[in-house]
Amino acid sequence: MANVEEQGGAKLVTLQINGDGHHLVVEPQETLREVLQDRIGLTGVKEMCDRGACGSCTVIMDGRPVLSCMMLAIECGGHPIETIEQLNSQEHPLIQAYADNHAMQCGYCTPGFVVTAKALLDKNPDPSEEDIKTALEGNICRCGTYPAHIGAVQDAARKLKG
Amino acid sequence: MSEDVKIMEYEPLVRDRYIPEKFQFLGKRGISRMDGVEKAGGTAQYTRDVNLPGMLFCKVLASPYANALIKNVDTSKAEALPGVRAILRFDDPELQDKILLGENTKFNAGHIASDGQAFYHGKEELAVTQEQWIQGAGRVLDGFAWWEGAHSGVAIAAESLQIAEEAIRLVEIEWEERDVVLNPIEALKPGAPPAAPELNDGKNLLRKIRIEHGDAEKGFQDADKLIEFDIRRRPYTAADGEPMSNVILWRGDNLEIWAHQQQPYDGKCLLSAVTGIPLNKIKLHVPFQGCHFGHGGNPFMHHTHGFHVISAILSKRTGRPVKTLYNRRENFYGLSQDADSHTHFKVGFKDDGIITAVKIDNITAKMGQYGIDHFEDNTRIPNLLLNYVEAQTNFAPAWWMRCEQNHNSFCFSAVFAHVADALGMDPTQVALKNDGVGGKDMEYLSKFKKDHGFPDRDSLAEVIEKGKTAINWENKWHEAGKKMLPNGKLHGIGFTWDHEWDDNRGAASAGLIMHCDGTVDILAQKADDGVNPMTTNCEIVAEELGMKLKDVNWRFFEETGFQMMTPDGSCNLCTDAYVSCNMARKAKKTLLEYATTPVKLIEIEYPPAFPDHKPEDLDVKDSMVFVKADPENSVPVAEVVKRATLNQNGTQAPLFEWAYQRQGRYGCEEGRHRLCRQGYFAEVEVDPDTGEVDVKKIVSINDVGKALSPETCEGQQYGGAYMATGRVMGEEVIYDPKTGVRLNANLVDYKVATFRDIDKTENILVETGMGYGPYGLVGIGEDCATVIPFAVANAIQNAIGEWVDDHPATPNKVIQAIQKAKEKGVF
Repeated sequence: MANVEEQGGAKLVTLQINGDGHHLVVEPQETLREVLQDRIGLTGVKEMCDRGACGSCTVIMDGRPVLSCMMLAIECGGHPIETIEQLNSQEHPLIQAYADNHAMQCGYCTPGFVVTAKALLDKNPDPSEEDIKTALEGNICRCGTYPAHIGAVQDAARKLKG
Repeated sequence: MSEDVKIMEYEPLVRDRYIPEKFQFLGKRGISRMDGVEKAGGTAQYTRDVNLPGMLFCKVLASPYANALIKNVDTSKAEALPGVRAILRFDDPELQDKILLGENTKFNAGHIASDGQAFYHGKEELAVTQEQWIQGAGRVLDGFAWWEGAHSGVAIAAESLQIAEEAIRLVEIEWEERDVVLNPIEALKPGAPPAAPELNDGKNLLRKIRIEHGDAEKGFQDADKLIEFDIRRRPYTAADGEPMSNVILWRGDNLEIWAHQQQPYDGKCLLSAVTGIPLNKIKLHVPFQGCHFGHGGNPFMHHTHGFHVISAILSKRTGRPVKTLYNRRENFYGLSQDADSHTHFKVGFKDDGIITAVKIDNITAKMGQYGIDHFEDNTRIPNLLLNYVEAQTNFAPAWWMRCEQNHNSFCFSAVFAHVADALGMDPTQVALKNDGVGGKDMEYLSKFKKDHGFPDRDSLAEVIEKGKTAINWENKWHEAGKKMLPNGKLHGIGFTWDHEWDDNRGAASAGLIMHCDGTVDILAQKADDGVNPMTTNCEIVAEELGMKLKDVNWRFFEETGFQMMTPDGSCNLCTDAYVSCNMARKAKKTLLEYATTPVKLIEIEYPPAFPDHKPEDLDVKDSMVFVKADPENSVPVAEVVKRATLNQNGTQAPLFEWAYQRQGRYGCEEGRHRLCRQGYFAEVEVDPDTGEVDVKKIVSINDVGKALSPETCEGQQYGGAYMATGRVMGEEVIYDPKTGVRLNANLVDYKVATFRDIDKTENILVETGMGYGPYGLVGIGEDCATVIPFAVANAIQNAIGEWVDDHPATPNKVIQAIQKAKEKGVF
């Protein structure tokens, strides 16, 4: 371990991802997106802009939506991280609601929207249209599916409330 | 193939007259997207996600200069970097004959690719010869660059992306910089620097075209009024979601490719043509596609085959799979076809709004598009004249980008808007007065519809009526520059229109297998471009076969021997849907024959499910075959197929049919008139102090002929509205005027429209059944994003009383226009 650090500042970190601990030696410059996508294989985390402009790589960390392309993995040890894969494995109602509402076209950016919306619903189980726009306004969908997201998030909110 | 099922021949006027009264799936709302859970749940695999064991990562050097020649290359430091596995230099002997087919060509071969697969049917269909095409191209990795970011010089494969990037930085290149010219008007002046010295003898003039219909001069003489004006459209790009990438693996003599590409089979053909690898030794995988909007299908672009050749050579040399990736900046290199266009208009018209002549003088950067087509296709204007000049510049290459008709739509809308403004007339009335086709009026078009079995409906009138109601036009339209709102902003409202041009063309084929459990597979490969093609084509097959939708599936990622058109879900659905529809009708016929025909195996005869009936006695619904006269007498489809297949020891192929469709090379052959019209209204508020424009509402009214999937059509409508709003309000790839270096090649500084950029969209579908596609459909995906920009531009003019004649209409230009309006005393 010490030897690794001496050779370039790499560091052993334990990332808490979707409830599992991942022990990794990461370089100081490696972003959380690179580690999640390229090294752990969580390809639901998408690279689009790679500089914090589009939201496609959004994950939930400490309960908040964060842009994993703007986070250095080396700083993320000990912080619980939730990715789209977790939502999928739990069959979160947002996923079916997005399919039912056609809130996607090519789908490349969609996991980023879903994760951002999940973070919203965790804090606000009954969001208004304005709340949803505020939560999702940082995400880019080049296909322009924005209007469909409102119905999808509200459908999921209704299902979550039972 | 069954002989009594009619497959449409290549006959422009033939159309589907089979319009069932009742559909179970088609046209119905509430059908979930079949790929929705995969996409929303993050399990949909894109090319970017493909990760093979032992895979190397490849980066290609992007030229830092817009016009430069490589004098010397030193790769020694990169070679010494641990983790670097192979370096490919432009002077490598294996690259000397590896031509990039078409990039930077001096010929506009756009019509070649518009045929899709048909392009490969024979050389006689090429608009230019292959030799000419090659002449204008260069190689997949060359020793010069004609635009900043051009893939040139060196490609490096390494153990990780980071190592490949670092190795590229370590390459030392001695460049000879050359003068840059960006503006096509400047490029055509005597003494202008050659933008591509290796091409066309260093001349920047690429094409000159003159098209005239009627007599424009006489049309101007017949006019009551004449106007002249100029408009410029600056370059913009797709800014597509998934940056370009590929993965290539050599296995023995065979090559496997995973492609992020709009027309992947085209890419395979190009790869084969360049490398000499036979097509049957290239295996193509097409994962989901992170959108292209046409940009991804450009056979002229490096990403369609240039970097496939690079990955292939590196994979062969290393014995490992190679993934070549563009980063966001590198991906920012394709420009729309109307970049950078300078257009002068002269228009003559009567006092009642009838246009008598249009003259368009058009100068564009390379691979431009001229603007006369829609006047030909869509109006009764008898006198048209186009002078088009195309110049080589040091802008990045241009190509179709939702879509190839951008400049046609732009010019069309501009003329109608300026005529209405000059007359002080309601622009919807000017549109209705000039609607027609090929210089002929609506009376002619009405007769055409009746003669060819179409419903005789006035599509434009219907579209306008619905749109005016939706946006409250009668109460909101006003004299330009004359409505200040209580919030201190200027109110504006605009309208424009067009037809749907991409309503039928190209070639497609698919197979259909019905398994012995009664489920159905559609067999065809395509890139997942367009909106919701998977569900829509499954709906068609289920509808025509009488199956439950859950029993039909289409996984279009692998080669099956059949290729469907891409994109799909809207425009190319006009071709693909014929394939799905026809093969399903054939399969149903075969199924009912199975249900009534015994299977004899040596000495044993196995009875069919309905031994006492003929096929015509039966029908299929909800995946059950039943006797029409006694619906209770039914058996599952699975049982019918099982009897016919497993009774023969399971060695016989399951029920299989296929269909092919080719129709309309360009979709607009002479005498094959477009009948469905599209209308768009926009409402804006403009801050007179800052020039900021708020888009309050966009209403899209689209005559889709028949909406097979309403949610899909609406997706095109609001999706197009957002893309269009970005285009008119701010999308521009900004180049340093001195160096030609792109200054905003990222998604922070290149502004696309997002959630807050339109307050409200309203989407209205009109179904006249006047399309050439099956069920009378046309597509609208091309139309919305392409035409709406000028609806917003017209609304801005209505707000401020002056035209913004340099697009995009960014706040600084809006302010300048407001100043002009003030000087004219508008307010």
